[in-house]
Parts: sequence; C-alpha cells; structure tokens
Amino acid sequence: MKPMKKREKQSNAFLVAASATVLGLLAGAILMASIGSNPFTGFWYLFRGGLMNIERIGNTLATATTLMLVGLSVAFAYKTGLFNIGASGQMLIGGLCATLVAHKVFLPRPLFLVVLIGAALLGGALWGIIPGFLKAKFNVHEVVASIMMNWIAYWSIYYFIPAYLKGPSLETESASIAVSQSMRSPWLTKLFNGSYMNLAFFVAIAAVLIIKFILDKTTLGFGLKAVGSNRFCAEYAGIKVNRNVIISMMIAGGLAGLAGLSFYTGYSRNMQIGVMPAQGFDGIAVSLLGGNTPLGVLISSLFFGILQSGKGFMNAMTSVPPEIADTIIAVIIYFTATSVLFKRFWDAVLKRQMNKAKRKAEMPETAQKKEDQ
Amino acid sequence: MKKLTVVLCIFLLLGTVAFAQGSAEGAAKKSNLRVGMVTDAGTIDDKSFNQGTWEGILRASKDYGLDVKYLKPAGTTEADYLKEIGNLVDAGYNFVICPGFKFETALFEAQDKYPNVKFVILDGEPHSADYSVFRIEKNVVAVYWAEHESGFLAGFAAALQIKEGDFGFVGGMEIPAVQKFNWGFQQGVKYANANFGTKIVMKQENNLYQGSFDNVSAGQQIAASMYDRGVDVIFAAAGGVGVGVINEAKNRASSGKNVWVIGVDVDQYPEGVMPNGKSIILTSAMKYLDRASYDMIEAELNGTYPAGQILHLDATNDGVGIPVQNPNLSKSVTDEVAKVYAKLKSGEIKVAAAGDGLFK
Repeated sequence: MKPMKKREKQSNAFLVAASATVLGLLAGAILMASIGSNPFTGFWYLFRGGLMNIERIGNTLATATTLMLVGLSVAFAYKTGLFNIGASGQMLIGGLCATLVAHKVFLPRPLFLVVLIGAALLGGALWGIIPGFLKAKFNVHEVVASIMMNWIAYWSIYYFIPAYLKGPSLETESASIAVSQSMRSPWLTKLFNGSYMNLAFFVAIAAVLIIKFILDKTTLGFGLKAVGSNRFCAEYAGIKVNRNVIISMMIAGGLAGLAGLSFYTGYSRNMQIGVMPAQGFDGIAVSLLGGNTPLGVLISSLFFGILQSGKGFMNAMTSVPPEIADTIIAVIIYFTATSVLFKRFWDAVLKRQMNKAKRKAEMPETAQKKEDQ
Repeated sequence: MKKLTVVLCIFLLLGTVAFAQGSAEGAAKKSNLRVGMVTDAGTIDDKSFNQGTWEGILRASKDYGLDVKYLKPAGTTEADYLKEIGNLVDAGYNFVICPGFKFETALFEAQDKYPNVKFVILDGEPHSADYSVFRIEKNVVAVYWAEHESGFLAGFAAALQIKEGDFGFVGGMEIPAVQKFNWGFQQGVKYANANFGTKIVMKQENNLYQGSFDNVSAGQQIAASMYDRGVDVIFAAAGGVGVGVINEAKNRASSGKNVWVIGVDVDQYPEGVMPNGKSIILTSAMKYLDRASYDMIEAELNGTYPAGQILHLDATNDGVGIPVQNPNLSKSVTDEVAKVYAKLKSGEIKVAAAGDGLFK
C-alpha cells in the first residue's frame, strides 16, 4: 500500500509542472496569435533556435546553467521555509569575487579553478548569510533584507568595477577575462562548435547532486526541512531553528554565487555596472516549476534555457517584434510559475475522483439495503 | 466536470483562431539582400544610434523592397551581441548592421565566423577584447564620423545666436567620439569669437564627462549646477545623461529662465519641446546615422560595397552637420553657418580632431 501511495504523489508533481507548462505555452500562443503571427511556426522556431545544432544546444546549456544554480538556490531556501529573492545580489557578489580572482590570481589551471569556484561560493554565501543572520537574530523578514542586499550589491558593483577592474576603454564594464582565466575551456568550446558552453555546467550538475544528497540523506538536510515544514515543531524537537535559518541562507547564497560565476566568468567574461541580473528572478520561476526539488530544478532550468536562447531565432524568423518576443517569454515563464494553482486544481480533481470511487464502492451496499426494505 | 469542458472548449476555440490567422509574411521581394540589425544598449526608439540607423535601413527597404529585421539582445555583453548576430545569420540575413563601438569585439569574432555575411559597424572597428589586435576583414566596413566638425558647426551656430554668454559641455563616457564633439565645439565657439566678435566664455569647471550614457539623474544634477554657475548653453553629448540635461533646462525655461541645450547625434529639437510649444534645443550636432546605413545598403546593391575599409564621414561627404530646420536660430545665423559649412567642405576651415590647447 505504501509504495503505491508514494508513486501517486510523484506523478502528481509531474502533472502539476506539465500542466503549468502547457498553460504557459498556450498563453504565449494566444499572445502570438493576437499580434497576427502563427503560434505554431513561432514555437517551432523557438525550439529550433534552442536545439537546432550543436552550437545552439551548447548555448542553451550555458544559459540553463545559470538558471539551474539560481533555481537551486531558491529551492534550497524554500525547503527551510525561506524565500530567497536576493539571488540577483548574491550572483553579483559571487561574480565580482570570481572576476577579481580571474584578473588577479595566477595559478596552475586545476588549482585555479578550485580557487575561482571557491571565491564565487564564498562571495555569494556572504551575501546570503547576512539576511539569514538578520532573520535569525532580529526576525527581519528575509525578503526585505535580501532585496536590500540586492541593491547594496548593485551599487557596490557600480563603484567597484570602475575603480579596480576597469576595462581599457569602457568605464562601465570590467576588462574582459582571458579564456585561460575563465570558466570556458577550449575543448568544450570546440566540442560545441564555438558556443558559450563552459565548465560551470558541470559545477551546476554537481551542485544539483550534492544538494539532493544534503536534503535527502543527511541530518543537516533533515533539520532544514523540519524547520521548513514547521519551525515550532522543529524547535520543540530540539532542532536549532536559528542556526538552520542561517545555514540555509548561506548555502542558498553560495549557490547563487556560483550562478554569478557561471554567468560572469563563463557566459559573458566580463561584468557590467548598472545591470541587475534578471536570472536572479527567473530562478524563482525555475524553482517553482521544478516543484522546489533539485531534480525538478534541473529539468525546468533546461526548459527555460531553451526558451531564453531560442527566443532570438524565433524573432529573426517570424514577424514578431523583439519587444513582443520578450513579453511572450515572460508570459510563458510567469504562467509556468503558477504551478501552485495547478497543484490545488489536480488535488481537487483527484479527490473528487477518489470520492466517486468510494461512493461507488458504498453504492451496492445502500442498494442492497433498499432491496431489503 | 462541466466547467472543465467549457474551459477546454475556449482553449480549442482560441487555438483555431490562432491557426486561422496564418502567416501573412513573404511579400514579393526584388532583391535577395536581407538586412538585419542588432540594437545597441537601449531601445529601437532611443532617438539616437539605434533609431537613426534603423530609419536608414527602413528607408532603404522602402526604396529597394528589402527584407529587414532588427533584434534586441538580452544584454550588452559580447556574448549577447554574438548570439543575436548568429540568429540573424541563421535566419538568412546576409547583411548585418551594428550601430555602436560596443560591437567592436563581437564583430572581431563574427567576421571570421560568418565569412559569407557582410557587416557594417558604425562608430568603431573590429578589434580583440584586449585591444592588442586590430583587424578588419573583407566582409566588414567600419564607419567613423568627424564629430569634431559637427561639434564645430553647432558651437559656431550657438555662439552666433547667443552672442554673449557662458557655454558648458557635458559628455557621457570619455571616449573618442565624445571627446571629438567636445574639442570641435570649443573650436567652433573660438572661431566665432575670433571672426564674428561674439563674447562667449568657456570655463574648465563647465566642461566635464559624467562617465556613463544612461545616468539621467546625474545629467540633471550636473546641468543644474552648471546653470547655477551662470552657464547659458550646455552642449550635451551624453545619450541618456543628455536627457537629464534637457529635463533640467526644460524645468528652468518653464520658470522663465533663459537657458539652452545643444543636442547631439540626431536632431533633438522634439526632445526639448515644452508645454508652450517652444523647444529648449538651440540646435543639434548631428551625425547622419540614417544616411550611413542607407548608403551602405545602396552600395552593396550597386556592387560598390567598400569591403574591408574604414570610412570617415565628414562635411565633404555630408556625413555631419546641424539640422536643416533650426527654429531657434535666426535666419542670418543659419546663413552664416551655411557659409562656414561650405568652407569646411572645401577645406578652407580645418577643425582639429585633437584637444591641444583645449579643455580635456
């Protein structure tokens, strides 16, 4: 009886995500149709743009990498009942630390990569631990604190880049990082035919597995989840709630910092001032669609990667203006984030069906009773 | 269950509507030249680089029946630019125009990656990210403007109109294109002072670069302090920062102060219009972006695409100047400007593209 129940639950999560995705695509299709272009060809080009050849697949994976790490960050904090909306700021600081290392530290490649990844992890963790600490000690809501941290990061970058990492001609962006000092790797670039695919993808996959392990197999993970399900109950059971809140935000921050690593030293190879990375917010949708689980995030980030990197090609092949294309993608993203509604919907449907079955089972009895009378 | 059916029916209906719309694309095309453009930072209606270039492309498309398209990158990094160039190429666009020096490094890679596609870069030339290698292939044309001549004309015209007063300059980033505007502007004012007896003062403190092209509020603050110091006319060669300058000037002019702004790149007169219908834009130092994109497309169609060349557009080929219509300049001033423009054309007047003996 028990394993049966478990399977039912899992299919439920998948059903929820799938129906949210379908609704998202439908909403996008309606928008496309309303501006007079054919949604079928539109979607055809959208997916071809993301997957048409090996280079585009590489770009899709590189785009998905950042989203995967941010999604993981949001999902992880969510497990502890925290809402990490500060991923953008954590990305910026993680990226800044990584960029600093890329420009100033020269070591043999394997050691260098470790230092580079470590720097991003630490930078992001630092930016995550502050809201976590404020939440634990003073009960400052983490949403407020981490939004503030976003802006502190934003303006720190504004000062820091021109002051210490200025490019040769542009004040508004850091000097470009040499390929040998970045997350890009010649063999990967070659393998994917000159795409932006970089080593951060493997970091992201490793992060997914590690986070899954922490959540499912360790005491730490159990404690974090317990705090997330009911912090009072957890406290009563002797789990240190405050400590877990801080640890959760720290790890979530570190993951977002890695997203910064993948974006600023892998994808773009420089940092620009005055840009709040949108991935920090898209990651929330990735996490929601993925049911806030590591593997779910992995799959949903790939889906979002296709959307983001196929957009331009759809744009070039159809008469959809670029601004509308952005809107279509945004509509799909935010409709897919409504998966919570679908959970309720499917729960209701399943419940009704179960009730029906129950009634049917009861029916013969009552019928017999009637006959008796 | 009934509700669900209704919802499904609605979706089905919308789906059929969507299908019925079909594709109304693919009208008859005269040429197989397909022109694409990737926008720089900002939107297509930025009243500056993107818009100017796109207007030229649209004009060419109307005249020659071309297929045209612009794409807007997600960000302004080299990777973003390359991605959109790749999208245009994969979609069959074989002539790609990139407005702005930020495309320099992206084109450095694209020129090798897409040898069968022709590129035009405005205001820059392809080079490697660390500026160690400058190389332009046969499928690229780089276009520069003589901003100093444009600034010269605008400075001269403004000096002649105002006759006596204090001029200031606000730049965006301190890059060659902006510096040349500044230097030419100062030379133009000096020329008027020397030859036409105007008494225009310029001071070092009223000549500065804000450091970005998008900080509107900083532009407004700088303009406010300059106007407070008694400056009458500010030449704003600063993109979005210039918008701040224009806003401040509008505020002051609305409350009865007599202040002016000189616009940049395109005719910014409409930007400076106040509720009373007057504009605070005295004139604009223009680069004819639309002409450049139009001319390059036309050259390609005529088989005279200047492959691998770096072009410099100036007064001799009508690449720079001030607007044809200047409602805020008197007739006598525009006549004098026309004379000076002719002299620039003939080479009688030479404007230095260097800042020797000038501010910055």
